[in-house]
Amino acid sequence: MKIDRISGGLAGKILRVDLSSKKVSAEDTEKYAKRFIGGRAIDSFILLNEMNPKTKWSDPENMLIFGAGCLVGTPSPGACRMSVDTKNAFNNGKGSANCGGDFAAELKYAGFDHIVITGKAETPVYLCIRDSEVEIRDASSIWGKTTYETEEAIQKELVDNSIEVASIGPAGENLVRGASVVIDCSKIAGGSGVGCVMGSKKLKAIAVRGHGAIRVAQPERFMNAVNEAMKKIQASPYFKLSRKALVEVAYQPDSKVWDTQTLIRNGQDEYWPMEKRERLTGKKTGVPKYIKGVTACISCPIGCMPYCEINEGKYRGTKGIGYWINSALYSQKFDVDNAAASLKFHLLANQLGLDGDFTSVVSSWAFECYEKGLLTKEDTDGLELEWGNEDAMLKLEEKLAYRDGIGDFLADGVVAASRKLGKGSEYFALHMKGQDTFEFFRILKGWALGVATSPVGGRHLRGAVYTPELTGPKNLDFSLTGYENQVEAVFWQLRAKEIEDLTGTCVNMGSFFGVHALEPPDYAELISSAMGIELTEEELMLIARRAYNLEKAFNTIHAGFDRKDDYPPRRFMEEPIKSGPYAGYICEKDKFDRMLDEFYEINGWDKKTGLQTGKGLLELDLEYVAKKLEKVGKLK
Amino acid sequence: MKILRDIEACYGCKICELVCSFHHKGAFSPELSSIKVSRNHQTGEVTWCIDSSCDSCEGEARPLCVAHCTYGVLKGVK
Repeated sequence: MKIDRISGGLAGKILRVDLSSKKVSAEDTEKYAKRFIGGRAIDSFILLNEMNPKTKWSDPENMLIFGAGCLVGTPSPGACRMSVDTKNAFNNGKGSANCGGDFAAELKYAGFDHIVITGKAETPVYLCIRDSEVEIRDASSIWGKTTYETEEAIQKELVDNSIEVASIGPAGENLVRGASVVIDCSKIAGGSGVGCVMGSKKLKAIAVRGHGAIRVAQPERFMNAVNEAMKKIQASPYFKLSRKALVEVAYQPDSKVWDTQTLIRNGQDEYWPMEKRERLTGKKTGVPKYIKGVTACISCPIGCMPYCEINEGKYRGTKGIGYWINSALYSQKFDVDNAAASLKFHLLANQLGLDGDFTSVVSSWAFECYEKGLLTKEDTDGLELEWGNEDAMLKLEEKLAYRDGIGDFLADGVVAASRKLGKGSEYFALHMKGQDTFEFFRILKGWALGVATSPVGGRHLRGAVYTPELTGPKNLDFSLTGYENQVEAVFWQLRAKEIEDLTGTCVNMGSFFGVHALEPPDYAELISSAMGIELTEEELMLIARRAYNLEKAFNTIHAGFDRKDDYPPRRFMEEPIKSGPYAGYICEKDKFDRMLDEFYEINGWDKKTGLQTGKGLLELDLEYVAKKLEKVGKLK
Repeated sequence: MKILRDIEACYGCKICELVCSFHHKGAFSPELSSIKVSRNHQTGEVTWCIDSSCDSCEGEARPLCVAHCTYGVLKGVK
């Protein structure tokens, strides 16, 4: 398969900005898109080719890349996503995070598919892109502000109340490792410390406004593909349920998800009694009662982002847009079942620019240290980190963002904090590849494999599968707890997610929960008609496989990861679930090992080491990647 | 034909805005659209307006904005 020319879908240019020299330039996207189509795949290609392995995440030479997918800016359903890629602030391997909102589309209307940022500003700045006019502007007056305040201040300064803003909050400024990049005040590119990298560059925000247009190569065919995709989405049994912010797809108190995706008290258990679930997520008593409306990202036919407002009790006045499921997942870890406190925790994370996954993991680790007497009130600035103490949960969150006292102790994540504390706290420091992980490994086999082998350190959107009704390929029989077909399901899921990210499509359209409607053939038709190329499903799946092999190689070369880094945290392999329907479940090492063997095999990687092989890469037409690996002695 | 809307039901997905520009110019662009949608990022409040350049998608079986609204917000009324 060779792509000669691309005639639609793209905005056309990649913007390059060096904050040290203040130089700005642009180049054509096409030569990159011919190989990797768009979005994250192009980001990964640039990072692997241009980054020096000796560069650390905090060095000015680190690249921070924003990539909009090739379908973003069109009405292709769910095409709104922005991929943010860089060196991972936890481990110097591949860093990648992804979010929706309208920023990515606006960037394309301004004429750019990607922004590649290098260097480091001497004083705080923000990048202002208004079509082809690109400025690096002083941000000293907004440094220190929350993400909400930052958006308001920039819109006021530029006299444009709907200019799109991606910003960091105080957490990113203070180089908290788990800092996020926040778009539209509520869409969070959370993983890999992408906000921390942005903070290290003293880049407070990027504002973008575009007046251009996105054209597609074959308009009639493309609109037919869009219509067919919309029909599939609307025919899904989950279509209207998803619209209620996933309230009814998952996390109603009696939902299966509650039994299988719950991590209590820093992973000590995976079951919560019904009365606590009811208080946290019940329609009448839980977070849903604060939902006042639901909003959609650009081009989304579902709409899953609720606007919430608390008009009672001590959290009165708390309001904002947020993916409330996350608040439920976070507060379980502290055994906090007050819905208002849970919501406050989530919205505060968005304002402070903290990744909620990171925040809940590192903080609940501290709670467990307190429980075990390894941290005392003297260490915690007087906070009583007792399970269920919502006040302590919220105060600790603020301290973390500002690196205040105990917050500074925790701000580099559980690996660094447990190393400093010792006393056995390393055992319950939940991380993968050095990055704090909030995931589940004991019950769900495909989920465990996907998360453990994720190139971005223990996150669930790179291969983790649940059931065929909600995730993964539809024609494959795999279950929650069985081992059968899990490897194949994860292998499919990895490629499907890569396709979603190169098109910039939200997973809720296809591979992961949501309506579970769009599949690779749908994307092949959308891409082909938009870009004027002819891609089959098989060819698209192959490009996807190549793309995540770039990330795998980056991790090998830049972070030295291999098989030993693909195992779940010890707690999940040594300590069974204590209560509930899955009591006794554990991640069984021997069986997990067999899944790993098969997973490496299906990917063409070496079973013993987990490393890529010359033969496997040659089959993918990635000889240049093999050469890079050979150069550092990591090719099998 | 007049385009009527139920703003309370609108999630602000902007698909109407994009298919409108497609009708006029064969390209996707808020700038080229007769419809302007904005969504407050902190409150979720949606504003929606349509200007005089709307021709009710002359030549189409139905106005594209109405046909593509999955939220049931828009209606074309003769």
